[in-house]
Order: sequence, then C-alpha cells, then structure tokens
Amino acid sequence: MIAPAAVMIFLFFLMPVVLTAIFAMTNMTTATGISGGAWQVTQGAINRLKADMPDLAGGIAEPRFVIDEEGLAALEALKLKAGFSTELRASHMGEVFPSRREAERMIKALKDRPSTREVKQISDLFNRSVLNTRFETRDGLMASLKKLGFTLTPAEQETVATATYTGWVWTTENFRIIGNSPDMAQIFLNTAFYVSVTLLLFNVSYALFLAITTHYMPASTASIFRAIWLLPRITPVVIYVLMWKWLTWDSGFISMFMGQFGYPAKNYLLDSAYNAWFFVILINGFIGASMGMLVFSSAIKAIPQTQFHASEVDGASRWQQVRHVILPQLRWPILFVTCYQTLSLLASFNEILLSTRGGPGRATEVWSLAAYHTALNNYTGNLEYGLGAAMALVLVVVGIVLSLIYLRIFRYDTLISKPLIED
Amino acid sequence: MTVLPILKSATLAAVLLASTAVFASAKDVTISVWSGGSGPNDNYRTDAFDIAADILEREAAIRGQQLNIIVQKTPYSGWEDFKQALTLAAEAKKAPNIVATGHEDIGPWAQAGLIVPVEKFIDLDSWPISDIYPNLMEITSFNGSVYGIPQDAESRPFFFWKPYMKAIGYSDADIEALPAKVEKGEYTLKNVLEDAKKMQDKGLVQAGYGFYPRTNNGPDYWQFYTSFGGVMEEEGKLVFDKAAMKRTYQYFADLVKAGVTKKNHVGMPGDQWWKEVATGKAGIWHGGTWHYARLVNQEGLKDFFTNVQFTLVPGGEGGKANTLTHPLAYLLMAGHTEEESQIAADLIKIASEPRINALHAIKSAHLGISPSETKVDLYAADRWASEATERLLPHANAMPNNADFGKYWTIMWKNFEASWTGAKTADAAVNDAEAELKSTLGAAIIIR
Repeated sequence: MIAPAAVMIFLFFLMPVVLTAIFAMTNMTTATGISGGAWQVTQGAINRLKADMPDLAGGIAEPRFVIDEEGLAALEALKLKAGFSTELRASHMGEVFPSRREAERMIKALKDRPSTREVKQISDLFNRSVLNTRFETRDGLMASLKKLGFTLTPAEQETVATATYTGWVWTTENFRIIGNSPDMAQIFLNTAFYVSVTLLLFNVSYALFLAITTHYMPASTASIFRAIWLLPRITPVVIYVLMWKWLTWDSGFISMFMGQFGYPAKNYLLDSAYNAWFFVILINGFIGASMGMLVFSSAIKAIPQTQFHASEVDGASRWQQVRHVILPQLRWPILFVTCYQTLSLLASFNEILLSTRGGPGRATEVWSLAAYHTALNNYTGNLEYGLGAAMALVLVVVGIVLSLIYLRIFRYDTLISKPLIED
Repeated sequence: MTVLPILKSATLAAVLLASTAVFASAKDVTISVWSGGSGPNDNYRTDAFDIAADILEREAAIRGQQLNIIVQKTPYSGWEDFKQALTLAAEAKKAPNIVATGHEDIGPWAQAGLIVPVEKFIDLDSWPISDIYPNLMEITSFNGSVYGIPQDAESRPFFFWKPYMKAIGYSDADIEALPAKVEKGEYTLKNVLEDAKKMQDKGLVQAGYGFYPRTNNGPDYWQFYTSFGGVMEEEGKLVFDKAAMKRTYQYFADLVKAGVTKKNHVGMPGDQWWKEVATGKAGIWHGGTWHYARLVNQEGLKDFFTNVQFTLVPGGEGGKANTLTHPLAYLLMAGHTEEESQIAADLIKIASEPRINALHAIKSAHLGISPSETKVDLYAADRWASEATERLLPHANAMPNNADFGKYWTIMWKNFEASWTGAKTADAAVNDAEAELKSTLGAAIIIR
C-alpha cells in the first residue's frame, strides 16, 4: 500500500522541489530561454572575446559577403532558377559586399527576380563571415571559423563557445547574488517581520481568543460569531482585497470619513510603510485567524466537560480554567497551527500582490512575492527563472528548518509517545 | 427498382465528395495576433489585421488562389501579464504568429530564439517598409538584423494646466513660448518644482498635486535620467552614470520633500490618476502623446488645447531637454511553418501602409511611422498629431535594444522607488544599485 502514497509524494512534493533546485543552479532568463541555446557571434560576444583573443575578435567583427565559386556551386545544388547562378557568375563574380543589406540589394536586382525568401537563401550561401549568424550547434560555428582561417585549439574553442553561447549554463551565481544583495537582506527581514507578527497576533493569539470566548457563549451565538469570522476566508480573495482597497483608497471610506473632520483625503493603504504593513497584516490576519479558531474550538470541544465542572466546583475562575484546563490540552493544536501557518504565510503572497504589490517602495515585498516578481512577472519582461527558483529554494530550506525547530520546541516525540497509563 | 435508390445515393455521394474537394482547395490559415499595453483606443493594433487579411485574400483571389485567413486577436491592456503570458506561451511552443510589443523585448527574445527576423520574409526595400522613418527601423533592429516593423511611434511630453500657470503669473504669451524655452534649456526641472510649489501655495491644487507623475514603472523615468545627463548605452554596452542617476533619484526625493509630489504616489489606482489629471486637479504632469486620446475620448477633457500646454521633458543639471519614443513593433514569433510566417509577414506589411496605420495613430494619438502617413487626410487634419510630431519627435531618443537592459531597468526602478518613498536616501539607492548592477551584470555594464 506504500506505492500510491510514494508516487503522490514524488509527483506533487518532491518533483517541484527537485525542479526548483535544478532551475536554481542555472542562469536561466527570458533571454537564455529554457530549452537551450545557439551559438551566435554578436557584437556583445566580440566585446567579451576582445580581452582573451584580440586577433580572432578583430578578424570576425565585420560582415563580409563574397560572390565566389564555392557559393555558386552551393547555389546550383539548391536547384532554384538556373538564371540566378548564371547571372551571378557572368556579372558579379568576385564582388565583395561589406553588409548583408548590400549583397541582398544586388541579388534582388537579378533579372529572374528572386522572392524575399530566395534572396535570403542565396545571400546565406555567399556569407563569408560569422558575425550575427546563428549556429544551432557548436561544431557548426567551429567549422565556419575554420573555413575563415581560424584554427583553434580545444581551449580556445571553449573560450569562443562560452562567449558566443546564447543559452543558459549551470552556475551557483544566484546564491551569491542572494547572499550579497542588500535588497535581498531587506526582503528577508520583511518576511520575518510579516510572518512572525501575523502568526503571533492573529493566526495563533487572536484565533485562541476567538475560540475561547466563543466557547463560553451560548451555542447559537457562538456559531454566529464563528460564521462571521469565516467570511474573510470564504470570500474570493480578489473581492476580499478589493473591499479593503475601497476602504483605504484616496476616495475610499476612511478618507471620506476623515474628510468629515477636515483631514485631506489620502491613500491610507500606501501612505507609509507602517500603514502598508498595518493593512497587510490585518488583511492576512483576518483570513488566518479563522483557521486557528476552528481548530482550537473543536479541540476545546473535545475536552471532557467534567473537567470544567470539576474546576468550577474547585472555585476556579474563567482565567484559571483557561490557564490550567484549556491551554495545556491545546498544545498539539497550537503546534499544528503554528507550524502550518508559518509555512503557509511564508509561501503565500496573493493578498500582498493584490493589495500593495509589495509597495510603497518595496516596503512590503516579502520573499515569495519577490521570487514571483523575479521569476515570472515584471514590467521589463525580463523573467529571471534561475534567480527566482533560487529564491524559492531558499524558502523551501527555511520552511524545513523552521518545522524541525517547532517539532523540537513543542516536543513532538512526547506528543506521539504511547500514554503510560494504558501500558 | 433497387437500382434507382442506389444510383440516387451514389450521385449524392459523388456530389458531396466533389463539394468537399472544392472546399479543400480553399486554404484556411489561422493567424494569431497578440498585443500588449492596448487599451480601448488601441484596437487597431490588432484590428488592422482584419483589413490586411481582407486585402491579402482579394489579392490571392486575383492570382487565382483561394486564401481564407482567420485572424485571432488577443489584446492585453497591461504589460506584466502580457509579457508573462507571451514568454511562457512561447517556451511552451504555443506562441502566436504576430506580436505587437515594445521594441526593448527584441533583445532578449531574439537571443532566446523566440522571434525570427522579419527581414527574412519582407523585402525592406519595398513599399511601404522603405518609407518608414529610418531611425524607427534602427530601433527595431538587433545584431544586424531587422527583427520588427515599427507599429507606432510616440513621444512623452510634460503637460501644464494652463489656468494654473496663469494664476501663478504666466501670461498667455509666456505659456505660448514655454515649449521653446524648455527646448533651449531656459525652463528646467528646477522651475517645474518651483512652479508646482507656487500652485500649491496659492491653493490652486492640493498638497501632492503640484507635480503629478506616472503612477507606475515605465520608460518615462529614463527621461529624467537623460535630463540629468545620463546615457543608457554606448557602443553596445549599457551605461550606469552614478552622478546622473543620483541627481534623478534626488530630484524625486526633493519633490516629495517640497510636498509637491506624494511619497506614496507610485501604486495609486490608475483610474483615479486619469480622472484627476483630466479635471485639473493636478498642476504639472507628464505622460505620452497617447494620453491625448484618453483624456479627450474617455475622460471628457474636450477643450484640451485651451487647458493644457505641452513641452519636451525639461532638462536638469548636466543634461538637456529630451523626450523618449517607445515604438511598438510587430514581431514574427518562431515556431511556425515558413508558409504561415510568410502570410503573417505579408499581413504586417499591408497593416503598415499609411492609411491603415493612420487609423491607429489618430485613434490612439500615437505618431505616424512614415512621412507619407502624415499626408493621409485623417492624419494631416489632426491638430494633436501634427503639433506633437513637430514639437517632440525630432528630440526623441529610445531605450537600447540590449538583452541585459531589462535587468538594468529592474534594478534602476527598484531603487528609484525606494528613494522616492524615502525608504532609502538617494545616495544609498545609487550605491545599492551600483552594487547590484556589478554583481548581476559585471562587465556588461559601464559604471562611472
């Protein structure tokens, strides 16, 4: 029976982590593409080669098109109109053109009028430079360089290949960037602040408060309160956040209300980093509190009523009941909620994306949002898959480490050990 | 008796078969077109292909071919989602045939092999391509190949609300002369700050509304860097001019300090910005030529020329007045058959004809792509198009096509925002930007 579970774990838990780890070890971006690259001698590549191989860089820096016998033979083999090669041989033999455009202008003017696509096919055959030609294989580039008279040693070939490759390569650079960037450090602190404050104030404390207060209410009143606190969770997140925006925008409710007292309208959500954090934590906290509330309420329900009765007979106050009866028996649910919510807060960023987008000035940019912005969504269209994956991997590691620490603190082993009394 | 029904059905079958044979000879081609940053006034970015397809089909019919082109149009109103969708679709081999996007995407997409040079399918010496402004064709070239056909041009002016300018002491003649003063460097960004402050002090506009910039990241912000003497690229290498960038960051910090721009301006709701600008809530602001279309068509600012003056982006210390043109280009995506790409290219060529392109230029208040387009009646008769072309376009520069420019931009903007909101000082922002540029781009960027 272990097989289906193992397959599920592998597919849905391990595979994403493994893939993230693989991506994290590359410099993959929109520009390098995902599926691999080609070899192209661009101006940029020549700049890179100038230091190591100045002769080669100088020799291949200019485009050059020559009408020669070799090209004519290749043209005849293509079996296009015979007139092309006849005319080229008769009137243009030996001509040299310093750019593709000029060579193609001549080809275009041939009496048999080649089509645009044929012009390209023909001009390729007379290309006697490698500048800006895209080679699908490394050997293709090396063979062309050899034809141009550059015989390279294997080490030189390696240098040229590295400088001209357009695809991604394996690297640990991403982790160095993460480690050295002051912005990353700031984002890390933002995340720690956001997770710990939301967790402590709302997901655990406020949830406990709700669970305990509703416990002491009559059943019907209690369920109304719980239902109200479930609303943020069951409202679609886009609509939920939009309502917060209506509340906080320049023309929103708070502005209108404060306007009555003569305060000028302002955007309360993005007014300052403090405001933004205040609302971000409320928006997330109100959603998060409901889960803790449900878990704790049911755990309190599971405490035998006799214990409450007995404590009341002993004259315990409400606070003493909470302190000595309820809380000790909630250790396991509190561990669960803390652990689960830490991970979910670390990984979730949709509420922040929808409300502040990480602003103002990236003040509320948290790690997962930054990873998303880096890897998948930014204005300049430069998606840095590799760096984004490395950031996500850091998150996975942090999550695992935190879980282990929690298990230690809450002494998980004693929670699952067999009760001594039944032995 | 049984022969007749058999004969009947055989004839019917034959007729059916023959009819399908006729249908089969007609060729159905689906050409998909995506465009980014396309609002309600930009529908001709994709709609132009309906007209182009109609013409191409008719041309084919005259040659005796039956060509049936189905144009699938997918306009995106924003940029982030569009670029995400497009790059991921292309990586998954589901790219559209044609895409209209900012020219700065040509660098990375060409390197990744997501697009093919359009000159592979279009003769650049043929009309109407030969007629397109050469500097626009330059902007759509990369690594020695022409990758895209410019779809529009524009430039990004500063706008001044005339009634407030008058209220702080400018005469009608002064306002009339403002564009020339800006061009000559007699009116600078420093004056912008002062005038914005005056407007607020007089109570004409609320605090934070004196200078009311763009609400999110955009090419516009490179103009300020240029105004303060910055250069984006030199001989194929990106350039980060520390002093110019510091002056740029500092300028926005100063605007906030003087109270004429809000520190939390970036990220405010865009719709609100438009409404406020159109109703005279802001004193001075900047935008693009296409803002004219939205202000007049959607926001109800009917008497634009009575209320608004426009100029180049004023110069600052170390630089001069400028504007930026950010042409969109039609690109051909890779991964399609040669035949399909040829049809797509033919469509692009037709859509670039002056009369068709003028529909987009005038409806969306962009600028034309060729001299002959300015002679089309629709274009020539439009006051905005002709004045803006004359006043702004000669001074326009463009962002570089460089595969690494996006990384540079992301880092530049992130620190821009941080110094604007006061999260970092201008000094710290420039130093952080420098550190990050060094570690991510290394030798690919000149830092000075």
